[in-house]
Amino acid sequence: MDILQLIQSNLLTPIVLFFLFGIIAARIKSDLKIPQAISEFLPIYLLAAIGLHGGIQMRTTGFENMLVPMLVAIALSLLFTLNHYQILRKLGKFNIFDSYALASTYGAVGAVTFSVGLSFLKNQGVTSEGYLAAVLAVLEPVAFILAIFLTNMAVSKQINAKKQSFTTDSKSDIDVGLNETKVKLSKILRESVTGKAIVILLGSIVIGYIIGKEGFGPIKIVFDDLFTGAIVIFMIEMGIIAGQRLDDLKKVGIFLISFSIIMPTFNGIIGVVVATLMGLSMGGSVMFGLLLASASFIAAPAVLRNAIPQANPSLYITSALGITFPYNIIVLLPIMFAVSSLLHDPEGSIDLFRYSLKDLI
Amino acid sequence: MKLYPVKLLTITCEILAQKNIIEILSKHKITGYTTYEVSGSGARGLRSEGLTNEKNVKIEIILREEKLQDVVEEVSRTLFANFAVVLYVSDVGVLRTEKF
Repeated sequence: MDILQLIQSNLLTPIVLFFLFGIIAARIKSDLKIPQAISEFLPIYLLAAIGLHGGIQMRTTGFENMLVPMLVAIALSLLFTLNHYQILRKLGKFNIFDSYALASTYGAVGAVTFSVGLSFLKNQGVTSEGYLAAVLAVLEPVAFILAIFLTNMAVSKQINAKKQSFTTDSKSDIDVGLNETKVKLSKILRESVTGKAIVILLGSIVIGYIIGKEGFGPIKIVFDDLFTGAIVIFMIEMGIIAGQRLDDLKKVGIFLISFSIIMPTFNGIIGVVVATLMGLSMGGSVMFGLLLASASFIAAPAVLRNAIPQANPSLYITSALGITFPYNIIVLLPIMFAVSSLLHDPEGSIDLFRYSLKDLI
Repeated sequence: MKLYPVKLLTITCEILAQKNIIEILSKHKITGYTTYEVSGSGARGLRSEGLTNEKNVKIEIILREEKLQDVVEEVSRTLFANFAVVLYVSDVGVLRTEKF
């Protein structure tokens, strides 16, 4: 079994090819683009499909196995976010705002990456635990909340330090500033929990749980059979956006480029190992690793732009979408698949090889 | 026809700053405004390609001169540093001044 061969055969899947095609279309300055309503609709559709799937599976498997993986995922996500911050701040010499924004972008999860992972596993005929959709929903705001909280702490500390240097008057202004920070934090908490991604995901999980397999029958054609096809269409859009941002890579710098490849690899492999230790299935471990490896690029700008406006958005969007996302779906996903199948069945070889041969012949 | 002089404040900004501006408006008891999604290019590069969150929005507010000063001051203090914002003021005439 050869990891390179795995990556090679993954390259020839429609999802990856259409993504690369989108990049090329953007590079040759084609006016090709996916109509805006569709590119806004597709993430909602993907999340609804993920949620329904998860809910239906949770009905058969139950909730009891869910708690430990969920708590471990939250703990790892928080730990990784802090770790990212230290690396970015100390080694990367980024300012405090950029460091926190980037740390949380990489600590957060990417729903699109998750969809690609599900479809990758579906292609391999491997299943994963349904409750991972619930883990996705819970993980979505966690890293942001931590980063926003810590940024606000740091800002308050600075304000307090300034306050001490002004001894007498003009205190009222500073107090107002401090209060504003607190109000902002609670508002952002509420907004990120009621954000559309989490709402549609949780709603679909509940509905999937209620309707079960029988109820899913009539809508299966939309939410199951069309799933990979819908991702493919979305991949054109993602490719175009990533392609338009390629020029920004120069601004991102070599440190951040290496960061956005090394960190996901590190986080993802740890995720796969931890998930295996917790007893998740082969496919489940891949998805768990992917959750921790992925970076957020749809939710992140919306949350961070308001929460940490001082951070430069082109840093976190470009690195997450332009580098980490393609790296995750093209290279890291097969690597994690290989690691997971090694861990779960040290003797066996990987089916991907056979699958690719079957496809080629 | 008698036209009453009021001010038109036009703010073009990134869509993620829209909420902040509308909050400032409501803080100053301004309830009327018009927004539309726009695209264009500026100091922060070509705006509005791709992700919806990267779009620009144009906000038009008709208001009396007394309020204008405070609103402009607050927008420039809180948003200029971190967001893509352009604002300008023009003189316009309205028929029903009591509405503003």
